[in-house]
Amino acid sequence: MMDQEAPTLSLDHQLQALTLGSDVRLQDLVDRDALRDLIRSFQALFGISIRIFSADGSLLAEAVTEQEICRYVGSLAEGRMQCMKTVAAARKVEPSTNREASHPCFTGAQYRIFSIDYDRRPLGKAVLGPFLPADITSVPDTLLAVDPQTDARRALDLLPLMPRAQPETISLICDHLRRTLDLILFSGHKSLLTSQMHLSSVRESYRELREKNDKLQEAFDKLRELDRLKSNFLGVVSHELRTPLTSIIGYSEMLSEGIAGSLSDDQKKFVQIIHEKGEQLLQLIMSLLDLSKLESGTMSLRKGSVSLPQLLAEVASTTLPKARKKSIDVECSVSSELPEVQGDAERLRQVFVNLVDNAIKFSPAESTVRMLARPAVASQTADGEAGFSLLEPSRRMVEVCVIDSGIGIPEEERERIFDAFYQIDSSSTREHEGSGLGLSIVKRLVEAHGGRVSAGPNEPSGAIFSVVLPIMASSHM
Amino acid sequence: MRGILQFDFGAKELTIKLVYYGPALSGKTTNLQSLYLLADSASRGRLMTLETRDDRTLFFDMLPLTFRANKDISLRIKLFTVPGQVIHGSTRRLVLQGSDGVVFVADSQLSETDNNAASFVDLRENLKANGMEVGQMPLVIQFNKRDMPNVRSDAELVELARRGKEPVFPAIATANRGVVETFMGLLHLTYAALDAEHKLKEKFGLGGPALLADVARKLGSRVPAEELLRSCLGGALDVLSSDTSTP
Repeated sequence: MMDQEAPTLSLDHQLQALTLGSDVRLQDLVDRDALRDLIRSFQALFGISIRIFSADGSLLAEAVTEQEICRYVGSLAEGRMQCMKTVAAARKVEPSTNREASHPCFTGAQYRIFSIDYDRRPLGKAVLGPFLPADITSVPDTLLAVDPQTDARRALDLLPLMPRAQPETISLICDHLRRTLDLILFSGHKSLLTSQMHLSSVRESYRELREKNDKLQEAFDKLRELDRLKSNFLGVVSHELRTPLTSIIGYSEMLSEGIAGSLSDDQKKFVQIIHEKGEQLLQLIMSLLDLSKLESGTMSLRKGSVSLPQLLAEVASTTLPKARKKSIDVECSVSSELPEVQGDAERLRQVFVNLVDNAIKFSPAESTVRMLARPAVASQTADGEAGFSLLEPSRRMVEVCVIDSGIGIPEEERERIFDAFYQIDSSSTREHEGSGLGLSIVKRLVEAHGGRVSAGPNEPSGAIFSVVLPIMASSHM
Repeated sequence: MRGILQFDFGAKELTIKLVYYGPALSGKTTNLQSLYLLADSASRGRLMTLETRDDRTLFFDMLPLTFRANKDISLRIKLFTVPGQVIHGSTRRLVLQGSDGVVFVADSQLSETDNNAASFVDLRENLKANGMEVGQMPLVIQFNKRDMPNVRSDAELVELARRGKEPVFPAIATANRGVVETFMGLLHLTYAALDAEHKLKEKFGLGGPALLADVARKLGSRVPAEELLRSCLGGALDVLSSDTSTP
């Protein structure tokens, strides 16, 4: 009764056959060479040749010494023929389970055959012999009759050289060999089963893991799609908000400039507030748009050679109006050997304008905000490093610090200020306004350039924002 | 996956696979060891234990038993235990493959109630993964360790067995008590299921009661098979009565 919905484990036929013992073969359970060594030691002990056959009749191992009489018979044409027939017939004897059978030779010698069983199933057989029963004292007629050229005296000389044994002794030898083989077969089966079980377990665990992985991948894909939709949504909404806002800003500006007739002072003030707040809202929307582009990885940087002295001078002039309102000086000191960096000039300007704006916002009136640019080296470069002369030039960096003497940033906040929407003072009555997006955009833009930004303290008060940018487009860390 | 009849027409052998399932340390291996001790030497094979560490079963134990079902056909029963520890889930699933019946060895101690239930749910899930429903699998439950303190009372077991579906047997496997009874109970159910599905009696002349009687004797029981089955505390084992009544 198959459950169609549940994932079904496919039957492990090999393991099944092995555990039920229906597919156990002698040749799988024993090592042929080791088996040959074992029966050789039996042969050395008892002097009787032994051959082991698998269930399909193929010879697995033998420990055979040719008897003198056999060699003599073999030298006779008819004798050789008869000998081969006898050996072939002995091989064909099928003793029943746990029983032995005898097969006579025309020399008077005998073969003893027993079935090798495991778990009551025949896996093969052992053929012992030829040996001479103790009661044979004369050359039998069958030997003399086998070939007309048989020399009776020679036969009489050679026949007694064959090992003699009582039937009971042979039974004991067979029993001993059978028990020895049984132990080996049991151990062999156990090992085979263990290794098959190992294999099957690993395969089953792998199947299980793969199933779980597929589910995880599915969940991951779904989340990624949701993330993409979110960024998309943000982009579309920002764009749709910006369009009407442009009209609000434009018309309020025209109103305040008196294009539609003169306004009273109060009216003018109110319209200016509308205009100002509209600009703020626009900034926020632009920031959101930037952030969503940076998050979705769709912001493309137009990289080129950027001259930092020129860029920073522009930043200083851009921020000048705001600085003047608080009587703050914006200074810029640039090291003379500063190389050009590879980057998007527009985006880098955005980074530094943002940082300087921030610095002005948090600095007391009549103070100074400084920009400092100098060469730097990636921290992981160490003298004596393998490939130093190749790696070091590619790791050269430029550091730009924006230094203020404002309220500073508490140490525990220095990482988190770069999170989107994060405000140190998030109370509704906070002193400084802003969306909390500026620094997170700065961080993402700097990282998009392969650089990093960090905040530290200034002495005796204030903050230092350090932006480290690689000179080369790609830096080999 | 049940329903593949392991019948070797050449050798005239019927092979039945029975699995001892249950939580860790409930006495599954002890059940097999006990059956090995009780069975006559002609019927039992070697008890094979695959990889134990600290006396815990890692893969499984296997005990082959062979009986003569009638003069022509031999019955091979392969008994397996699964590793009880939770982490060996994949091994349990593999051992369960192709099984014809299951003994669930529960630990009678009250503190093991949760583990018993969790292991049974695990059995249900693993059977499902093998394409089988627990309701369709011949299953008996053994409450082992009846000699321990703080165990579920006999009266409660009887009540539970009466309301449940599976036959319930009490046992003290370490003292060889209840082990043969449990085994006979499962063999009885399994044989009935196989017979219903494959018409063993019709096709091969294999009669359940005669077979059970022979197996009970070979396992050293001095009482008839029916009496062994009667030690069941409850549950649906009455297939036997209708079975024995048929000539």
